[in-house]
Amino acid sequence: MEKQNKSLKKGLRFYMHLYRMILIQDLKSKMSYRADFIISTIGMILTNLSGFAAFWILFRNFPSIKGWSYHEILFLYGFSLLAITPVQCFFDNNWSIYRMVYTGDFIKYCFRPVNLFFYFISEVFDIKGVGQFIFGVGVLAYAWNKLRIPCTPIYLFVLLMSVLSASLFMISLMNLAAATGFWIMGSAYVMIFAFKFKDYARYPITIFNPVFRFIFTFIIPIAFVAYYPSLFLVRADEVPLLTYLSPILGIMFFYLSYKVWMKGAMSYSGTGS
Amino acid sequence: MSETRPSFVRKYLALTKASMMESLAFRTSIFVTILGNLVYLIMIYFLWQAIYASSPTPIVNGMTFYDTMVYLVLAAAMFNFLECFIVWSLGRDFQSGQIVVSLTKPIDYQVFTFFAVLGQYIMAFLTTFLPTFIIVCLMTKGGVPLGINLIFLVISMVFSVIINFCVDFFVGVICFYTQSIWGINVMKEVVVALLSGAAIPLAFFPAVLRKIIRFLPFHAIYNTPLQILTDESLTLTNYLEMLINQVFWVVLMIGITRIFWNASKKFITVNGG
Amino acid sequence: MESVIKIEHINKEFKILKKREGLKGSIKDLFSRDYSTLKAVNDISMEIMPGEMVGYLGPNGAGKSTTIKMMTGILKPTSGKIIVNGKVPYTNRTQNAEDIGVVFGQRTQLWWALPVIESFNILKEIYRIDKKTYQDNLEYFDALIGAGELYQKTVRQMSLGQRTLCDILASFLHNPSVVFLDEPTIGLDVSMKSKIRELIRALNKEKGTTVILTTHDMGDVDALCSRIVIIDKGKMIYDNSIEKLRSFFGDYRTVKLKFNKKEEVMQTEALEKEAEDLQSFLKSQFKGAKSLSASVDDKWISVLLKEDEVHMMKVINCIQEKKKIRDMTLEEISTESVIKKIYEGDIQ
Repeated sequence: MEKQNKSLKKGLRFYMHLYRMILIQDLKSKMSYRADFIISTIGMILTNLSGFAAFWILFRNFPSIKGWSYHEILFLYGFSLLAITPVQCFFDNNWSIYRMVYTGDFIKYCFRPVNLFFYFISEVFDIKGVGQFIFGVGVLAYAWNKLRIPCTPIYLFVLLMSVLSASLFMISLMNLAAATGFWIMGSAYVMIFAFKFKDYARYPITIFNPVFRFIFTFIIPIAFVAYYPSLFLVRADEVPLLTYLSPILGIMFFYLSYKVWMKGAMSYSGTGS
Repeated sequence: MSETRPSFVRKYLALTKASMMESLAFRTSIFVTILGNLVYLIMIYFLWQAIYASSPTPIVNGMTFYDTMVYLVLAAAMFNFLECFIVWSLGRDFQSGQIVVSLTKPIDYQVFTFFAVLGQYIMAFLTTFLPTFIIVCLMTKGGVPLGINLIFLVISMVFSVIINFCVDFFVGVICFYTQSIWGINVMKEVVVALLSGAAIPLAFFPAVLRKIIRFLPFHAIYNTPLQILTDESLTLTNYLEMLINQVFWVVLMIGITRIFWNASKKFITVNGG
Repeated sequence: MESVIKIEHINKEFKILKKREGLKGSIKDLFSRDYSTLKAVNDISMEIMPGEMVGYLGPNGAGKSTTIKMMTGILKPTSGKIIVNGKVPYTNRTQNAEDIGVVFGQRTQLWWALPVIESFNILKEIYRIDKKTYQDNLEYFDALIGAGELYQKTVRQMSLGQRTLCDILASFLHNPSVVFLDEPTIGLDVSMKSKIRELIRALNKEKGTTVILTTHDMGDVDALCSRIVIIDKGKMIYDNSIEKLRSFFGDYRTVKLKFNKKEEVMQTEALEKEAEDLQSFLKSQFKGAKSLSASVDDKWISVLLKEDEVHMMKVINCIQEKKKIRDMTLEEISTESVIKKIYEGDIQ
């Protein structure tokens, strides 16, 4: 058979190519629901504006938090917006797991000869996240300027790396939250809670007492979504070891979340009919 | 009319009971919700503690750290019990055409929906608000005034539920026209969370914003009952004034949703859903 | 020839939750739960040859979809062994998936908001179908049932029948050696059903693809399958050709009778009463005939009997004496009634 000639191993190139294909199809689908697209974009902008309004109202009353100035916290705020962009744009399909499990539609992903997680996640590209990204860039640029952080290629590279590692934590957190949907019926709650964490990830971890500092660093690692990775830029003179480790920890955490997700998917597809 | 009354009520209460049982079936979701709330409250606590610690005065805008915490904890608990995903379920009903089936039933759809979610409201009240309330009362050891205000609180919360339901129902019906559930829902969520005082007490808002908020129904959902509960300085006249203000919004919101729903119903029957 | 699917003594057990009744029960369920073990599949073995078309039948909850899931590699049997295309499906799901196709009657696997051809294009990439095979198949499908005019149509604007058709085509696109079809004709009208059946038959014949078909529609079975496998409560109760099954029931005869005048329209309840009376009358007349029964079939009263228990003519004469027969037809037993009899446990 000719099939045997094909190499059985599917490399990165195969997956990249496939991802692009599926992504383009999804964008085409989105275009056919134009009204939804426009309203969702407005909704996204409004979410960011109101988030910023809450932030602003708070700092109107209190000039600083635990020695962190308004601009420093604003930097964290912008940074966290960038860090959650990947999870919003590329991993949005996680939100439909609990519904697909309920209706049984999830099973259709299980019959394809490609990685299940990849195939499921690649199906949706949420363009709304782009608006948030732009908003985040604006906030970050403003704070960056006010904090007089130098704008050299090295600093931009550090920013890119730290945003990427921060985003891995958010992605992994949402993967784990979504995976609960395979075991628990109607577990949208878990995702909603996990996603709410991002609103608190934008404050310095030092506001917590040691116990919760530990919990939010090692158990529910939201401190990595903005605080640790951004220390490189905001407070270059007091960079802790965890900041240096954040890329590696991010990859490890992502791998863990992927494994749990896959285990959940397999255990579900066996039971649901 | 008077003869049909008992069976009329029973018909709707059966719905309520069914939805209570349905929410009980999701055992894990109840535990997860309680646990998630706890984590969430811890974050709020530390954030505001840090904020107040950095403030030069212990009282900001007439609220101590204590007042703010009690207010925010109960606001979070209330938010959890008022969020019943009505917009989503209505939106899906409209999109799937299920609405046509519901319209053929010999019950008013709006009333039907209300009683169907009432069970969820009751369960969420018992599982999230009540335990939180008791814990707050015990922890603050008399910090929460417990007296005549409790009676007003109960009345006020009933009004809150109704106003909140009307807002949700109104927004849900909008989905019928827009075909966009996520966008509409997220707009509602952020607007309600910010302008109702659920995220930040209205006392912290700038005066201009507070004036505008008075002309919107949202403050009657969260701020009114919470103020009744926490503000010791209120007199009997204040309570009555606040309740009358809520009644005004109840009547207005019911009126508006009725008109909007009846118009939409015509639209549905003409266009075939 | 080597078999394409080989199943040896597979078992599958599930833990299921027992729910208590009422509001009180729901509250109790919050704190303590009872589980029990369910044997979904119980010692099933079979072997399927390349190019075979097998009807996989059984009542709801018999364990059909559990078996299919094990064959497609998304479920691991508790014990036993499965080989599909020379590979163990559940140890390497993705590799196994390269060479199989799956269709679920009610669930489309196509991209909802896009023209079908776009879905096909993605599948081309997913299954790494080479250009020539892909083009050939598209042309072949067009020649076969005129699928070409559907290619540019958006899936959500299609009728259920058109969608099913495209789903089936999609499952054959990568020339799989086995295709699993789960109730492909569910909810379709008569002409669409026959079109789908024609398509499946042609694809099976001309491409030599092995087809495993689960269905509740005996029309599908009659039209397509030469071999049927029946399972019930997780156990295999039949695995052989459909002719053999029919010949096993060859002694059975169905006599359809009408007693009332043509113009008279009988109420269903009255008919049922009449059939019931007739059955008890016949039972009292022919005591040894266990299979003898009467039931309502459309406007007819149909009497089922087994020739070696009692002769048909005897029964007709007996009825004739009691009542005036206005109209009568004779039929062999249908697949539908055979299967029904098996499900009801009348036959061992």
